[in-house]
Amino acid sequence: MQARAPEMELIREAQAGSRAAFDTLVRQYEHQVLRLALHLTGSEHDAEDIYQEAFLKAFRYIGNFRFECSFYTWIYRIVTNLCLDQLRRRKTRREDHAVIMDHSGDEIDLLASVSDDRAYANPARELDRKVLAGKIQAALEKLTPRERMVFELKHYQGLRLRTIGEMLSTTEETAKNTLFRATKKLRAQLAELR
Amino acid sequence: MNCELAHESIVAAAYGELPDEQVHELERHIAGCAGCAEERQQLEALKVLANALPVLEPGANLLARSRMRLDEALDALPPLGWYERLSQRMLNNIASLQAAPLAACLLLVAGAGAGGLGGYEIAQGRAAHVVTTQAIAAPQTAAAAPAAAQAGITQAGMSNVASVSSIVRKPNSEIVDVSYNQIVPQHVEGSLDDPAIRQLLMMASEKSSSVGLRDDSVGLLADECKAGHSCRPEGIRDALMTALRSDRNAGVRKKALDGLQPYVAEDVRVRDAILQALLNDDDPHVRTEAINILMPVEGDTSVRQVLHSVANTDQNPYIRTVSTQILSKEPEIQ
Repeated sequence: MQARAPEMELIREAQAGSRAAFDTLVRQYEHQVLRLALHLTGSEHDAEDIYQEAFLKAFRYIGNFRFECSFYTWIYRIVTNLCLDQLRRRKTRREDHAVIMDHSGDEIDLLASVSDDRAYANPARELDRKVLAGKIQAALEKLTPRERMVFELKHYQGLRLRTIGEMLSTTEETAKNTLFRATKKLRAQLAELR
Repeated sequence: MNCELAHESIVAAAYGELPDEQVHELERHIAGCAGCAEERQQLEALKVLANALPVLEPGANLLARSRMRLDEALDALPPLGWYERLSQRMLNNIASLQAAPLAACLLLVAGAGAGGLGGYEIAQGRAAHVVTTQAIAAPQTAAAAPAAAQAGITQAGMSNVASVSSIVRKPNSEIVDVSYNQIVPQHVEGSLDDPAIRQLLMMASEKSSSVGLRDDSVGLLADECKAGHSCRPEGIRDALMTALRSDRNAGVRKKALDGLQPYVAEDVRVRDAILQALLNDDDPHVRTEAINILMPVEGDTSVRQVLHSVANTDQNPYIRTVSTQILSKEPEIQ
Protein backbone atom coordinates (compact mmCIF):
# COMPACT_ATOMS: atom_id res chain seq x y z
CA MET A 1 0.00 0.00 0.00
CA GLN A 2 3.10 2.18 -0.08
CA ALA A 3 2.62 2.96 -3.74
CA ARG A 4 0.66 5.83 -5.30
CA ALA A 5 -1.63 7.09 -2.54
CA PRO A 6 1.43 7.70 -0.39
CA GLU A 7 2.98 9.41 -3.40
CA MET A 8 0.32 12.10 -3.20
CA GLU A 9 1.00 12.33 0.50
CA LEU A 10 4.71 12.58 -0.20
CA ILE A 11 4.13 15.38 -2.71
CA ARG A 12 1.98 17.26 -0.21
CA GLU A 13 4.60 16.83 2.49
CA ALA A 14 7.33 17.96 0.08
CA GLN A 15 5.18 20.96 -0.82
CA ALA A 16 4.98 21.75 2.88
CA GLY A 17 8.77 21.74 2.97
CA SER A 18 9.68 18.17 4.01
CA ARG A 19 13.08 17.28 2.64
CA ALA A 20 12.68 13.60 3.61
CA ALA A 21 9.50 13.35 1.53
CA PHE A 22 11.23 14.97 -1.42
CA ASP A 23 14.18 12.56 -1.10
CA THR A 24 11.76 9.62 -1.27
CA LEU A 25 10.26 11.06 -4.44
CA VAL A 26 13.74 11.43 -5.92
CA ARG A 27 14.50 7.77 -5.18
CA GLN A 28 11.36 6.75 -7.04
CA TYR A 29 12.26 8.50 -10.28
CA GLU A 30 16.01 8.96 -10.33
CA HIS A 31 16.73 5.73 -12.17
CA GLN A 32 14.44 6.54 -15.11
CA VAL A 33 15.71 10.13 -15.19
CA LEU A 34 19.34 9.07 -15.39
CA ARG A 35 18.67 6.37 -17.97
CA LEU A 36 16.87 8.83 -20.27
CA ALA A 37 19.48 11.55 -19.87
CA LEU A 38 22.34 9.11 -20.35
CA HIS A 39 20.94 7.66 -23.54
CA LEU A 40 20.00 11.04 -24.97
CA THR A 41 23.18 12.88 -24.23
CA GLY A 42 25.60 9.96 -24.46
CA SER A 43 27.59 11.49 -21.65
CA GLU A 44 27.65 10.50 -17.99
CA HIS A 45 28.74 14.00 -17.12
CA ASP A 46 25.79 15.61 -18.93
CA ALA A 47 23.40 13.03 -17.51
CA GLU A 48 24.61 13.86 -14.02
CA ASP A 49 24.11 17.58 -14.66
CA ILE A 50 20.62 17.03 -16.00
CA TYR A 51 19.74 14.82 -13.01
CA GLN A 52 20.96 17.52 -10.65
CA GLU A 53 19.27 20.40 -12.39
CA ALA A 54 15.98 18.51 -12.85
CA PHE A 55 15.59 17.58 -9.21
CA LEU A 56 16.72 21.00 -8.00
CA LYS A 57 14.05 22.56 -10.21
CA ALA A 58 11.50 20.05 -8.96
CA PHE A 59 12.41 20.93 -5.37
CA ARG A 60 12.15 24.63 -6.06
CA TYR A 61 8.83 24.47 -7.91
CA ILE A 62 7.09 21.53 -6.26
CA GLY A 63 4.82 24.05 -4.59
CA ASN A 64 3.40 24.80 -8.04
CA PHE A 65 2.51 21.16 -8.74
CA ARG A 66 -1.29 21.03 -8.68
CA PHE A 67 -1.98 17.33 -9.38
CA GLU A 68 -3.36 18.12 -12.83
CA CYS A 69 -1.09 15.46 -14.31
CA SER A 70 0.84 12.61 -12.73
CA PHE A 71 4.03 13.49 -10.90
CA TYR A 72 5.81 11.16 -13.31
CA THR A 73 4.69 13.31 -16.28
CA TRP A 74 5.62 16.49 -14.43
CA ILE A 75 9.15 15.38 -13.57
CA TYR A 76 9.66 13.96 -17.07
CA ARG A 77 8.55 17.30 -18.51
CA ILE A 78 11.31 19.01 -16.57
CA VAL A 79 13.86 16.42 -17.65
CA THR A 80 12.86 16.46 -21.33
CA ASN A 81 13.08 20.26 -21.39
CA LEU A 82 16.57 20.15 -19.93
CA CYS A 83 17.60 17.42 -22.38
CA LEU A 84 16.16 19.45 -25.27
CA ASP A 85 18.21 22.46 -24.17
CA GLN A 86 21.27 20.25 -24.02
CA LEU A 87 20.62 18.79 -27.48
CA ARG A 88 20.08 22.29 -28.91
CA ARG A 89 23.33 23.53 -27.42
CA ARG A 90 25.11 20.52 -28.84
CA LYS A 91 23.49 21.06 -32.24
CA THR A 92 24.85 24.59 -32.22
CA ARG A 93 28.34 23.42 -31.27
CA ARG A 94 28.04 20.53 -33.76
CA GLU A 95 29.97 18.25 -31.50
CA ASP A 96 30.55 14.70 -32.52
CA HIS A 97 29.21 12.51 -29.77
CA ALA A 98 29.45 9.10 -31.32
CA VAL A 99 31.31 8.04 -28.21
CA ILE A 100 30.16 8.29 -24.63
CA MET A 101 32.04 10.36 -22.07
CA ASP A 102 32.43 9.44 -18.43
CA HIS A 103 32.29 11.94 -15.56
CA SER A 104 35.97 12.82 -15.84
CA GLY A 105 35.58 13.58 -19.54
CA ASP A 106 37.33 10.43 -20.77
CA GLU A 107 35.82 8.50 -23.63
CA ILE A 108 34.32 5.17 -22.68
CA ASP A 109 33.19 2.42 -24.97
CA LEU A 110 29.42 2.31 -25.00
CA LEU A 111 29.15 -1.22 -26.28
CA ALA A 112 32.02 -2.65 -24.31
CA SER A 113 30.01 -2.01 -21.17
CA VAL A 114 27.18 -4.21 -22.42
CA SER A 115 27.84 -7.76 -21.33
CA ASP A 116 27.91 -10.22 -24.17
CA ASP A 117 27.95 -13.78 -22.96
CA ARG A 118 27.12 -15.30 -26.29
CA ALA A 119 29.38 -18.12 -27.29
CA TYR A 120 29.90 -16.67 -30.75
CA ALA A 121 31.01 -13.27 -29.49
CA ASN A 122 34.29 -12.37 -31.10
CA PRO A 123 36.39 -9.26 -31.73
CA ALA A 124 35.29 -8.87 -35.34
CA ARG A 125 31.65 -8.97 -34.36
CA GLU A 126 32.32 -6.56 -31.51
CA LEU A 127 33.88 -4.15 -33.96
CA ASP A 128 30.90 -4.46 -36.31
CA ARG A 129 28.55 -3.70 -33.45
CA LYS A 130 30.55 -0.65 -32.43
CA VAL A 131 30.60 0.67 -35.98
CA LEU A 132 26.89 0.05 -36.34
CA ALA A 133 26.07 1.74 -33.04
CA GLY A 134 28.27 4.67 -34.02
CA LYS A 135 26.37 5.09 -37.28
CA ILE A 136 23.02 4.95 -35.53
CA GLN A 137 24.21 7.50 -32.99
CA ALA A 138 25.38 9.75 -35.83
CA ALA A 139 22.03 9.40 -37.61
CA LEU A 140 20.20 10.29 -34.39
CA GLU A 141 22.40 13.37 -33.97
CA LYS A 142 21.17 14.61 -37.36
CA LEU A 143 17.56 14.76 -36.21
CA THR A 144 16.22 18.01 -34.79
CA PRO A 145 16.25 18.01 -30.98
CA ARG A 146 12.49 17.60 -30.87
CA GLU A 147 12.48 14.73 -33.36
CA ARG A 148 15.28 13.09 -31.42
CA MET A 149 13.34 13.48 -28.19
CA VAL A 150 10.11 12.01 -29.58
CA PHE A 151 11.98 9.07 -31.14
CA GLU A 152 13.87 8.50 -27.89
CA LEU A 153 10.74 8.58 -25.74
CA LYS A 154 8.81 6.34 -28.13
CA HIS A 155 11.36 3.86 -29.41
CA TYR A 156 13.79 3.57 -26.52
CA GLN A 157 11.70 4.51 -23.51
CA GLY A 158 8.45 2.99 -24.83
CA LEU A 159 6.11 5.81 -23.78
CA ARG A 160 2.70 6.36 -25.38
CA LEU A 161 2.39 9.23 -27.86
CA ARG A 162 -0.28 10.81 -25.69
CA THR A 163 2.10 10.89 -22.73
CA ILE A 164 4.90 12.20 -24.93
CA GLY A 165 2.58 14.97 -26.11
CA GLU A 166 1.81 15.90 -22.51
CA MET A 167 5.48 15.92 -21.60
CA LEU A 168 6.42 18.10 -24.52
CA SER A 169 3.38 20.36 -24.02
CA THR A 170 1.95 19.49 -27.40
CA THR A 171 -0.76 17.25 -28.82
CA GLU A 172 -0.67 13.52 -29.46
CA GLU A 173 -1.16 14.23 -33.17
CA THR A 174 1.87 16.51 -33.29
CA ALA A 175 3.95 13.92 -31.47
CA LYS A 176 2.80 11.33 -34.03
CA ASN A 177 3.80 13.57 -36.95
CA THR A 178 7.17 14.24 -35.36
CA LEU A 179 7.75 10.51 -34.92
CA PHE A 180 6.88 9.98 -38.58
CA ARG A 181 9.38 12.64 -39.68
CA ALA A 182 12.06 11.19 -37.41
CA THR A 183 11.67 7.65 -38.77
CA LYS A 184 11.72 8.97 -42.33
CA LYS A 185 14.96 10.87 -41.75
CA LEU A 186 16.56 7.95 -39.92
CA ARG A 187 15.68 5.60 -42.75
CA ALA A 188 17.30 7.94 -45.23
CA GLN A 189 20.39 8.27 -43.04
CA LEU A 190 20.72 4.55 -42.45
CA ALA A 191 19.75 3.38 -45.94
CA GLU A 192 23.27 2.16 -46.66
CA LEU A 193 23.17 -0.23 -43.71
CA ARG A 194 20.15 -2.20 -44.84
CA MET B 1 -6.75 5.11 -47.78
CA ASN B 2 -4.06 6.67 -49.98
CA CYS B 3 -0.36 5.81 -49.81
CA GLU B 4 0.65 9.02 -48.01
CA LEU B 5 -1.79 8.35 -45.18
CA ALA B 6 -0.79 4.68 -45.20
CA HIS B 7 2.86 5.59 -44.62
CA GLU B 8 1.94 7.58 -41.52
CA SER B 9 -0.30 4.77 -40.33
CA ILE B 10 2.48 2.23 -40.83
CA VAL B 11 4.67 4.13 -38.35
CA ALA B 12 1.82 4.43 -35.86
CA ALA B 13 0.98 0.73 -36.25
CA ALA B 14 4.61 -0.32 -35.83
CA TYR B 15 4.62 1.39 -32.44
CA GLY B 16 1.19 0.10 -31.39
CA GLU B 17 -0.48 3.49 -31.71
CA LEU B 18 -2.98 2.82 -34.48
CA PRO B 19 -6.62 2.26 -33.44
CA ASP B 20 -7.89 -1.24 -34.21
CA GLU B 21 -10.41 -0.11 -36.79
CA GLN B 22 -7.66 1.63 -38.77
CA VAL B 23 -5.34 -1.39 -38.52
CA HIS B 24 -7.76 -3.45 -40.62
CA GLU B 25 -8.03 -0.67 -43.18
CA LEU B 26 -4.24 -0.41 -43.35
CA GLU B 27 -3.84 -4.18 -43.76
CA ARG B 28 -6.31 -4.13 -46.65
CA HIS B 29 -4.37 -1.31 -48.31
CA ILE B 30 -0.99 -2.99 -47.86
CA ALA B 31 -2.31 -6.27 -49.23
CA GLY B 32 -2.92 -4.51 -52.54
CA CYS B 33 0.00 -2.05 -52.58
CA ALA B 34 3.56 -3.30 -53.08
CA GLY B 35 5.03 0.16 -52.33
CA CYS B 36 3.44 0.35 -48.89
CA ALA B 37 4.38 -3.27 -48.13
CA GLU B 38 7.99 -2.29 -48.91
CA GLU B 39 7.60 0.79 -46.71
CA ARG B 40 6.53 -1.37 -43.80
CA GLN B 41 9.45 -3.74 -44.27
CA GLN B 42 11.85 -0.81 -44.27
CA LEU B 43 10.37 0.56 -41.08
CA GLU B 44 10.66 -2.82 -39.36
CA ALA B 45 14.30 -2.95 -40.51
CA LEU B 46 14.89 0.51 -39.01
CA LYS B 47 13.43 -0.61 -35.68
CA VAL B 48 15.79 -3.59 -35.62
CA LEU B 49 18.73 -1.37 -36.56
CA ALA B 50 17.92 1.24 -33.93
CA ASN B 51 17.93 -1.49 -31.29
CA ALA B 52 21.61 -2.02 -32.01
CA LEU B 53 22.21 1.14 -29.96
CA PRO B 54 21.56 -0.18 -26.47
CA VAL B 55 19.81 1.70 -23.67
CA LEU B 56 22.29 1.41 -20.83
CA GLU B 57 21.12 1.21 -17.28
CA PRO B 58 22.91 3.85 -15.19
CA GLY B 59 25.65 2.26 -13.14
CA ALA B 60 25.69 2.23 -9.35
CA ASN B 61 28.63 4.65 -9.29
CA LEU B 62 26.86 7.17 -11.48
CA LEU B 63 23.74 6.90 -9.36
CA ALA B 64 25.64 7.31 -6.11
CA ARG B 65 27.64 10.24 -7.46
CA SER B 66 24.48 11.97 -8.72
CA ARG B 67 22.71 11.47 -5.40
CA MET B 68 25.65 12.86 -3.49
CA ARG B 69 25.87 15.96 -5.67
CA LEU B 70 22.14 16.54 -5.40
CA ASP B 71 22.19 16.15 -1.62
CA GLU B 72 24.99 18.68 -1.36
CA ALA B 73 23.17 21.12 -3.62
CA LEU B 74 19.92 20.73 -1.69
CA ASP B 75 21.74 21.21 1.62
CA ALA B 76 23.28 24.39 0.27
CA LEU B 77 19.91 25.85 -0.73
CA PRO B 78 18.76 28.57 1.66
CA PRO B 79 15.37 27.84 3.23
CA LEU B 80 12.45 29.52 1.49
CA GLY B 81 11.78 32.98 2.82
CA TRP B 82 8.28 33.99 3.89
CA TYR B 83 7.87 36.13 0.79
CA GLU B 84 8.72 33.16 -1.46
CA ARG B 85 6.21 30.95 0.34
CA LEU B 86 3.65 33.72 0.10
CA SER B 87 4.25 34.29 -3.60
CA GLN B 88 4.03 30.54 -4.27
CA ARG B 89 0.77 30.37 -2.40
CA MET B 90 -0.55 33.40 -4.28
CA LEU B 91 0.44 31.84 -7.60
CA ASN B 92 -1.48 28.71 -6.68
CA ASN B 93 -4.47 30.79 -5.67
CA ILE B 94 -4.34 32.69 -8.95
CA ALA B 95 -4.24 29.37 -10.78
CA SER B 96 -7.26 28.14 -8.88
CA LEU B 97 -9.03 31.41 -9.75
CA GLN B 98 -8.82 30.37 -13.40
CA ALA B 99 -11.67 28.02 -12.61
CA ALA B 100 -13.75 30.87 -11.18
CA PRO B 101 -15.74 31.65 -14.37
CA LEU B 102 -16.84 28.02 -14.58
CA ALA B 103 -17.76 27.98 -10.90
CA ALA B 104 -19.73 31.21 -11.38
CA CYS B 105 -21.62 29.69 -14.32
CA LEU B 106 -22.42 26.58 -12.29
CA LEU B 107 -23.68 28.71 -9.42
CA LEU B 108 -25.85 30.67 -11.84
CA VAL B 109 -27.31 27.49 -13.32
CA ALA B 110 -27.84 26.00 -9.84
CA GLY B 111 -29.53 29.22 -8.71
CA ALA B 112 -31.79 29.29 -11.76
CA GLY B 113 -32.61 25.63 -11.20
CA ALA B 114 -33.43 26.14 -7.54
CA GLY B 115 -35.56 29.17 -8.38
CA GLY B 116 -37.39 27.24 -11.09
CA LEU B 117 -37.93 24.32 -8.72
CA GLY B 118 -39.32 26.60 -6.03
CA GLY B 119 -41.71 28.25 -8.48
CA TYR B 120 -42.77 24.90 -9.88
CA GLU B 121 -43.46 23.46 -6.43
CA ILE B 122 -45.56 26.47 -5.46
CA ALA B 123 -47.51 26.09 -8.71
CA GLN B 124 -47.89 22.33 -8.05
CA GLY B 125 -49.15 23.07 -4.55
CA ARG B 126 -51.76 25.44 -5.89
CA ALA B 127 -52.78 22.99 -8.61
CA ALA B 128 -53.08 20.17 -6.04
CA HIS B 129 -55.26 22.41 -3.93
CA VAL B 130 -57.50 23.07 -6.91
CA VAL B 131 -57.60 19.32 -7.80
CA THR B 132 -58.47 18.41 -4.21
CA THR B 133 -61.33 20.81 -4.19
CA GLN B 134 -62.53 19.54 -7.58
CA ALA B 135 -61.97 15.82 -6.75
CA ILE B 136 -65.29 15.46 -5.00
CA ALA B 137 -67.02 16.61 -8.15
CA ALA B 138 -64.85 14.64 -10.64
CA PRO B 139 -63.00 11.64 -9.09
CA GLN B 140 -62.13 10.07 -12.49
CA THR B 141 -59.91 13.02 -13.46
CA ALA B 142 -57.78 12.63 -10.34
CA ALA B 143 -57.35 8.87 -10.96
CA ALA B 144 -55.86 9.54 -14.41
CA ALA B 145 -53.03 11.74 -13.02
CA PRO B 146 -50.68 9.00 -11.60
CA ALA B 147 -50.78 7.15 -14.94
CA ALA B 148 -49.37 10.25 -16.65
CA ALA B 149 -46.64 10.50 -14.01
CA GLN B 150 -45.49 6.98 -14.95
CA ALA B 151 -44.45 8.07 -18.43
CA GLY B 152 -40.91 6.83 -19.26
CA ILE B 153 -37.96 9.12 -19.98
CA THR B 154 -37.01 9.63 -23.63
CA GLN B 155 -33.52 10.03 -25.01
CA ALA B 156 -34.41 13.62 -25.87
CA GLY B 157 -35.41 14.26 -22.27
CA MET B 158 -31.99 13.14 -21.04
CA SER B 159 -30.53 16.58 -21.54
CA ASN B 160 -32.78 17.90 -18.78
CA VAL B 161 -31.60 15.36 -16.20
CA ALA B 162 -29.58 17.08 -13.50
CA SER B 163 -28.52 14.06 -11.43
CA VAL B 164 -29.37 10.48 -10.46
CA SER B 165 -30.42 9.93 -6.87
CA SER B 166 -30.88 6.16 -6.55
CA ILE B 167 -30.55 2.89 -8.48
CA VAL B 168 -32.29 -0.34 -7.46
CA ARG B 169 -32.04 -3.53 -9.45
CA LYS B 170 -34.97 -5.95 -9.33
CA PRO B 171 -33.68 -9.32 -8.07
CA ASN B 172 -32.77 -11.82 -10.80
CA SER B 173 -33.82 -9.58 -13.64
CA GLU B 174 -32.55 -7.05 -16.12
CA ILE B 175 -34.94 -4.43 -14.76
CA VAL B 176 -33.63 -1.47 -12.79
CA ASP B 177 -35.44 1.31 -11.06
CA VAL B 178 -33.67 4.65 -11.40
CA SER B 179 -34.64 7.82 -9.54
CA TYR B 180 -33.34 11.02 -11.07
CA ASN B 181 -33.78 14.74 -10.74
CA GLN B 182 -34.98 17.05 -13.46
CA ILE B 183 -36.71 20.14 -12.17
CA VAL B 184 -38.53 17.83 -9.77
CA PRO B 185 -37.42 14.32 -8.75
CA GLN B 186 -38.55 11.55 -11.14
CA HIS B 187 -38.08 7.85 -11.42
CA VAL B 188 -38.11 5.39 -14.26
CA GLU B 189 -38.03 1.62 -14.46
CA GLY B 190 -36.69 -0.32 -17.42
CA SER B 191 -34.33 -2.93 -18.83
CA LEU B 192 -30.57 -2.54 -18.62
CA ASP B 193 -30.57 -2.80 -22.42
CA ASP B 194 -32.71 0.33 -22.70
CA PRO B 195 -30.50 3.18 -24.04
CA ALA B 196 -32.15 5.75 -21.75
CA ILE B 197 -31.52 3.59 -18.66
CA ARG B 198 -27.92 3.10 -19.74
CA GLN B 199 -27.56 6.84 -20.25
CA LEU B 200 -28.75 7.45 -16.68
CA LEU B 201 -26.34 4.82 -15.33
CA MET B 202 -23.44 6.37 -17.24
CA MET B 203 -24.38 9.79 -15.89
CA ALA B 204 -24.47 8.39 -12.34
CA SER B 205 -21.12 6.66 -12.82
CA GLU B 206 -19.50 9.91 -13.88
CA LYS B 207 -21.23 12.68 -12.00
CA SER B 208 -22.72 11.34 -8.81
CA SER B 209 -21.10 12.51 -5.61
CA SER B 210 -22.29 9.37 -3.78
CA VAL B 211 -19.78 6.51 -3.77
CA GLY B 212 -22.59 3.96 -3.37
CA LEU B 213 -24.36 5.28 -6.44
CA ARG B 214 -21.21 5.28 -8.54
CA ASP B 215 -20.42 1.78 -7.31
CA ASP B 216 -23.90 0.52 -8.25
CA SER B 217 -23.94 2.14 -11.67
CA VAL B 218 -20.40 1.08 -12.63
CA GLY B 219 -21.14 -2.44 -11.34
CA LEU B 220 -24.27 -2.71 -13.48
CA LEU B 221 -22.50 -1.34 -16.57
CA ALA B 222 -19.57 -3.72 -16.02
CA ASP B 223 -21.99 -6.66 -15.72
CA GLU B 224 -23.48 -5.69 -19.08
CA CYS B 225 -20.03 -5.75 -20.69
CA LYS B 226 -19.09 -9.03 -19.05
CA ALA B 227 -22.38 -10.58 -20.15
CA GLY B 228 -21.54 -9.61 -23.73
CA HIS B 229 -24.51 -7.28 -24.12
CA SER B 230 -24.02 -4.29 -26.37
CA CYS B 231 -20.96 -2.60 -24.86
CA ARG B 232 -19.88 -0.25 -27.61
CA PRO B 233 -16.58 1.67 -27.44
CA GLU B 234 -18.21 5.09 -27.50
CA GLY B 235 -20.82 4.24 -24.88
CA ILE B 236 -20.45 2.04 -21.84
CA ARG B 237 -16.81 1.23 -22.53
CA ASP B 238 -15.92 4.92 -22.42
CA ALA B 239 -17.83 5.35 -19.18
CA LEU B 240 -15.95 2.41 -17.62
CA MET B 241 -12.60 3.81 -18.80
CA THR B 242 -13.49 7.19 -17.32
CA ALA B 243 -14.40 5.53 -14.02
CA LEU B 244 -11.15 3.54 -14.05
CA ARG B 245 -9.09 6.65 -14.66
CA SER B 246 -10.77 9.16 -12.44
CA ASP B 247 -13.05 7.66 -9.82
CA ARG B 248 -11.79 8.42 -6.31
CA ASN B 249 -13.02 5.09 -4.91
CA ALA B 250 -10.85 2.00 -5.43
CA GLY B 251 -13.85 -0.37 -5.32
CA VAL B 252 -15.50 1.51 -8.19
CA ARG B 253 -12.26 1.48 -10.20
CA LYS B 254 -11.91 -2.26 -9.65
CA LYS B 255 -15.44 -2.87 -10.92
CA ALA B 256 -14.72 -0.75 -13.99
CA LEU B 257 -11.58 -2.81 -14.58
CA ASP B 258 -13.57 -6.06 -14.42
CA GLY B 259 -16.03 -4.71 -16.96
CA LEU B 260 -13.23 -3.80 -19.38
CA GLN B 261 -11.57 -7.22 -19.19
CA PRO B 262 -13.31 -8.74 -22.25
CA TYR B 263 -11.96 -5.94 -24.48
CA VAL B 264 -8.31 -5.85 -23.47
CA ALA B 265 -7.21 -7.85 -26.51
CA GLU B 266 -9.31 -6.13 -29.15
CA ASP B 267 -9.43 -2.48 -28.05
CA VAL B 268 -6.11 -0.68 -27.75
CA ARG B 269 -7.73 2.21 -25.86
CA VAL B 270 -8.93 -0.21 -23.19
CA ARG B 271 -5.41 -1.64 -23.00
CA ASP B 272 -4.01 1.87 -22.58
CA ALA B 273 -6.44 2.66 -19.79
CA ILE B 274 -5.51 -0.55 -17.97
CA LEU B 275 -1.78 0.11 -18.45
CA GLN B 276 -2.30 3.59 -17.04
CA ALA B 277 -4.06 2.07 -14.03
CA LEU B 278 -1.20 -0.38 -13.55
CA LEU B 279 1.29 2.46 -13.56
CA ASN B 280 -0.57 5.13 -11.65
CA ASP B 281 -3.39 3.69 -9.56
CA ASP B 282 -3.07 4.27 -5.82
CA ASP B 283 -4.58 0.97 -4.86
CA PRO B 284 -2.48 -2.23 -4.99
CA HIS B 285 -5.60 -4.39 -5.49
CA VAL B 286 -6.49 -2.44 -8.61
CA ARG B 287 -2.91 -2.71 -9.89
CA THR B 288 -2.82 -6.46 -9.15
CA GLU B 289 -6.12 -6.92 -10.96
CA ALA B 290 -4.74 -4.90 -13.88
CA ILE B 291 -1.77 -7.26 -14.16
CA ASN B 292 -4.07 -10.30 -14.18
CA ILE B 293 -6.19 -8.75 -16.91
CA LEU B 294 -3.14 -7.87 -19.01
CA MET B 295 -1.71 -11.42 -18.85
CA PRO B 296 -3.34 -12.56 -22.10
CA VAL B 297 -1.68 -9.66 -23.98
CA GLU B 298 1.68 -9.84 -22.24
CA GLY B 299 3.45 -10.13 -25.62
CA ASP B 300 2.41 -6.59 -26.56
CA THR B 301 5.42 -4.25 -26.51
CA SER B 302 3.67 -1.52 -24.51
CA VAL B 303 2.44 -4.03 -21.96
CA ARG B 304 5.92 -5.44 -21.53
CA GLN B 305 7.41 -1.99 -21.16
CA VAL B 306 4.95 -1.09 -18.45
CA LEU B 307 5.50 -4.44 -16.75
CA HIS B 308 9.23 -3.75 -16.83
CA SER B 309 8.68 -0.40 -15.20
CA VAL B 310 6.34 -1.88 -12.58
CA ALA B 311 8.73 -4.77 -11.90
CA ASN B 312 11.45 -2.23 -11.14
CA THR B 313 9.62 0.56 -9.40
CA ASP B 314 6.38 -0.61 -7.80
CA GLN B 315 6.66 -0.45 -4.05
CA ASN B 316 4.44 -3.44 -3.53
CA PRO B 317 6.67 -6.56 -3.47
CA TYR B 318 3.88 -8.87 -4.65
CA ILE B 319 3.21 -6.72 -7.71
CA ARG B 320 6.93 -6.54 -8.49
CA THR B 321 7.22 -10.33 -8.21
CA VAL B 322 4.18 -11.05 -10.40
CA SER B 323 5.39 -8.59 -13.07
CA THR B 324 8.84 -10.16 -13.06
CA GLN B 325 7.35 -13.63 -13.35
CA ILE B 326 5.25 -12.66 -16.34
CA LEU B 327 8.22 -11.00 -18.02
CA SER B 328 10.43 -14.01 -17.43
CA LYS B 329 8.10 -16.20 -19.45
CA GLU B 330 9.29 -14.78 -22.78
CA PRO B 331 12.66 -13.14 -22.14
CA GLU B 332 13.55 -13.04 -25.82
CA ILE B 333 10.88 -10.43 -26.57
CA GLN B 334 12.52 -8.00 -24.17
